[in-house]
Amino acid sequence: MDQLSQAAINGVMLGGFYAVMVLGFSIIWGVMGVINLAHGEFVMVGAYITWLLSKQLGWEPFATVIVVFPVMFAVGYALQHGLINRVIDRPYLISLLVTYGLSIIIANATKIIFTATPRTVDTAFSGFWRVGDVTVPITKTIVLIAALIIMSGLHLFLQYTRLGKSIRAAAQNREAARIVGIEIKYVYAITFAICIALTAVAGTLVAPTQPIYPFMGPPLTLKAFAITAMAGLGSIPGALMGGIVLGLVEVLIATFVPGVGTNLGIVSSFVILVVVLVTRPQGLFGGLKPAGAH
Amino acid sequence: MSVRRIWRIMPLFILAALLMAACAAPAAPSEPAASDGGEQTSEAAVSDNGCVGTIKLGAAVSETGKYAREGKDTRQGYNTWLDWVNKEYGGVKVGGDCYNVEIVYYDDEGDPDTAANLAEKLITDDEVDFLLGPYSSGLTMAASAISEKYNKIMIEGNGASESLFERGFKNLFAVLTPAGNYTQSALKALADQGATSVVIAYEDTAFPSSVGAGAQKWAEEYGLEILGVETYPKDVADVSAIMTKFRDMEPDVFVGGGHFNDALLFVRAAQELGFSPKAMVITVGPSNPKFVEEVGDAANYIIGPTQWEATMSYQDDYFGSAADYAARYEGMWGEPPTYQAAESTATALALQLAIEAAGSLDSDAVRQALNDLDVMTFYGPINFDETGKNAGKPMGAIQIQAGAINVVAPADAAVSELEYPMPAWDER
Amino acid sequence: MRTLTEIWKRYKLGPLVLILLVLFLFLLPLPRWLAPERKLVSNSLLFSLTQLFMLVTLASDWNMTGGFTGYIDFGHAVFFGIGAYGAGVMMAKAGWPFVPALIVGAVAAAIFAVLIGSATLRLKGPYFSIAMLGTFVAMREIVRVLRPITGGGSGLTLPPYLNRPLFYYVTLILAVLVVAFVWWLRRTQFGATLVAIREDEVGAEMRGINTTLHKITIFWIAAFFTGIVGALWAYQNTFIDPDVVFFESRTIELVMMTMLGGLGTVAGPVIGVTVIYWLRDILWSNFLQFHLLVEGVLLIVIVLFFPEGIMGLLNDPSATSLGRLWGRYLGEGPKDAYQSTETETSV
Repeated sequence: MDQLSQAAINGVMLGGFYAVMVLGFSIIWGVMGVINLAHGEFVMVGAYITWLLSKQLGWEPFATVIVVFPVMFAVGYALQHGLINRVIDRPYLISLLVTYGLSIIIANATKIIFTATPRTVDTAFSGFWRVGDVTVPITKTIVLIAALIIMSGLHLFLQYTRLGKSIRAAAQNREAARIVGIEIKYVYAITFAICIALTAVAGTLVAPTQPIYPFMGPPLTLKAFAITAMAGLGSIPGALMGGIVLGLVEVLIATFVPGVGTNLGIVSSFVILVVVLVTRPQGLFGGLKPAGAH
Repeated sequence: MSVRRIWRIMPLFILAALLMAACAAPAAPSEPAASDGGEQTSEAAVSDNGCVGTIKLGAAVSETGKYAREGKDTRQGYNTWLDWVNKEYGGVKVGGDCYNVEIVYYDDEGDPDTAANLAEKLITDDEVDFLLGPYSSGLTMAASAISEKYNKIMIEGNGASESLFERGFKNLFAVLTPAGNYTQSALKALADQGATSVVIAYEDTAFPSSVGAGAQKWAEEYGLEILGVETYPKDVADVSAIMTKFRDMEPDVFVGGGHFNDALLFVRAAQELGFSPKAMVITVGPSNPKFVEEVGDAANYIIGPTQWEATMSYQDDYFGSAADYAARYEGMWGEPPTYQAAESTATALALQLAIEAAGSLDSDAVRQALNDLDVMTFYGPINFDETGKNAGKPMGAIQIQAGAINVVAPADAAVSELEYPMPAWDER
Repeated sequence: MRTLTEIWKRYKLGPLVLILLVLFLFLLPLPRWLAPERKLVSNSLLFSLTQLFMLVTLASDWNMTGGFTGYIDFGHAVFFGIGAYGAGVMMAKAGWPFVPALIVGAVAAAIFAVLIGSATLRLKGPYFSIAMLGTFVAMREIVRVLRPITGGGSGLTLPPYLNRPLFYYVTLILAVLVVAFVWWLRRTQFGATLVAIREDEVGAEMRGINTTLHKITIFWIAAFFTGIVGALWAYQNTFIDPDVVFFESRTIELVMMTMLGGLGTVAGPVIGVTVIYWLRDILWSNFLQFHLLVEGVLLIVIVLFFPEGIMGLLNDPSATSLGRLWGRYLGEGPKDAYQSTETETSV
């Protein structure tokens, strides 16, 4: 029983990170139709900025958000203008390959600048609370809370601000949005910038919980795929549910299958991905039916 | 041609494909590759230190990819020797002559296919005399198959997996202690201190599997009860489930094996889950000074196996003591040597000693000399057994004590007492 | 450029050059025996060419589903892996000789293609790509977990048998066979149907074509040949483990190579593979530190500026699928089945 509740806590904590990590990926795909294969690399870049500020300047890692967000917002805006704009509207294969090229560039540039040595970031909020026989890691609790705050913030932003409404309009019907006077290019650039900034913030959040290294991106991108497939495109509640379900499944299998549990946990996320795609292409948790699926 | 006709015609294509594949397996053994490479055109190029020729060595080592960091250590290790042998030692003495040394490097990207191709390229295009090994067991596996085929000697210091030496190869030599013995001295020291139970987690790839299997063997040997064995995949990002399970088993000793990343993950997960065994043995990481740098105070009490430490008492006539070597290395590269670097230097040194003993660059003579080699170096004793493993060298164990890496086992190389048990995380 | 193509076409230079090239490749290893001391042809060169032929075969296989049928398979290397492991397990564990082991590997790949294809080929656009990517990663971990059969993460060591000229000829013949098959396919009704599926799947269905059957058929054919290459590769490498066989970037490299040559063309994969393979060599020697970085930049440049590939540049741009899409996009033409999520989403 204790083991079960401990596993559940570990799973939910992991899921919280997954959920905030997947947001940017899912929204870029939903709004712009671009599948960003460099997604994991942006998480990695955010984590490296955090590492730089906390190791070199002694900042509290979680506080580096105030730098990571604007910097990566600017990076995202510039990338959208220079590169991504050219691939929207083209066959999806093109955007896949361009973002894949981007991921190679980012990972290898990071390796050249920071070397391949894995880095860790220390936060003042480490250690654990004991609740009965169960331990609750403090750092991951903060990550989970931050994830929830970010998600509600994003939800409110999209629901109630003018800009947020424009983004949703552009996602739902681009031509109509253009007709009512929404400047699509601007909306796309803002969307991309926000998503990249959020993704990098997810990197800030994960930095104190696991080592960071230049080639940590691709597994995260794959996870983002699996969660988005479950969650439905651009759905925030879906991302939360999808992230937590994946986190729970991974941790529960890893805990209760002896020997090869952790390996099977990793398999499970991809089996889920394939099964969900084949049986319910619209995702498990609402989201709208994607184009072209039966 | 409709789709049904295609189904009918496909068997023809398949038959053709299979016929062609059938050609791939005639009973004839692989050709003796003596005609390729090998003969050194020794031009009498007199260089500034008066040496008559050049010995060309080749190495494909990761510059990018998964092993980029360890690959860098490996290169720097080889280059430390290269710099020394050409500038200070005055070239390799072969018979009466002396030879300068040149190393041709390529980047294998951590990809075995590339490693194999580059090994072949080194042998046939660059016509190197001997090969130095890449980093990691998997890449050594691929590259050594090529060198064996060409009957070229490959001497390596960075592939410790046992399966490398179970193939009956004649041309592969390794100066390092094989993976199965990695945890031997640590487990023995812990058993002597009164530990009675152990849990083991290792990454499910070639080298950590060998370490894990070895740890189980030695645990039984020293009377430690094995409470649990877990594997995890490469690039794992979360080991909290493994650590939760282990915490509930309340073992005395935790053994974790994988790569540097995993070492950081284990410490972090143990810390945040309150898993405090009496000793933590982590097979790759603790002996690297960067581990202490990254983990900080939490690194204290952690035990790791080590191929080599600068504080060990070994010494030779070439690089002096282990400490002398470390000082030289740090002077050249601005960072202290990891054991990967030291074993790479020792690899090249062993080759040099064998060439000098053979008095020839001929592969057969050098192979014989390598088999006969029995020397003490700054890295430890080197004495190859018939499979090419270094049978002479025991594995050391270090413990991080107040931020310093101290050798605690085996007893004759130890500079410090093993601190046991490790205090719980919240009682420090 | 135009006059050049006209001369090329008028005098039917294409087939002539092709025959000469193949003949040259067949005769290439001869100097090894006639004049071994000259070292005109080293084993390293043969090895490089062997790899090249394997890549040509793989890219052509990928092109069957990705280029002709319009189903972008991001997990195609899974068939390579099954071929390699099928052969590897039979040889290392059951002690079979290579040829029957190869058959097991290739047939296993084809069977797996039918099974997984009948599920995933119903998906459209990026969803198919991702489902295949998931299949690929899942299969790698499954192979790892099946330790008693596959050796798990420690991998399998095959009896070393290295004979470069032989591997050279086998892979050359395989590559020629597969490219010829694709060429012939283009001229069959079956091939035309595949292109019809790419251009307008719903339309094809409405005309009474069993699109699923067509898709699965081409899928398993491609998987079968990929499986053969996997088995050959395993034998040549003498060692397989999950990470080297199920190598993530393998599929994407195939896509990149095919695309550079020209998607959905017979010669595209051949040209693309050759160009990129050469470029790699140059990058290696000149940008040791930066070569992957340069490769990433190159990929983006290719994709952004030559989406129709080299074949598209040589021929009329409208001869390639992407060139046509591109043209349609410029002309604000009708949407097409190839294009992805132009859709409403709940944000």
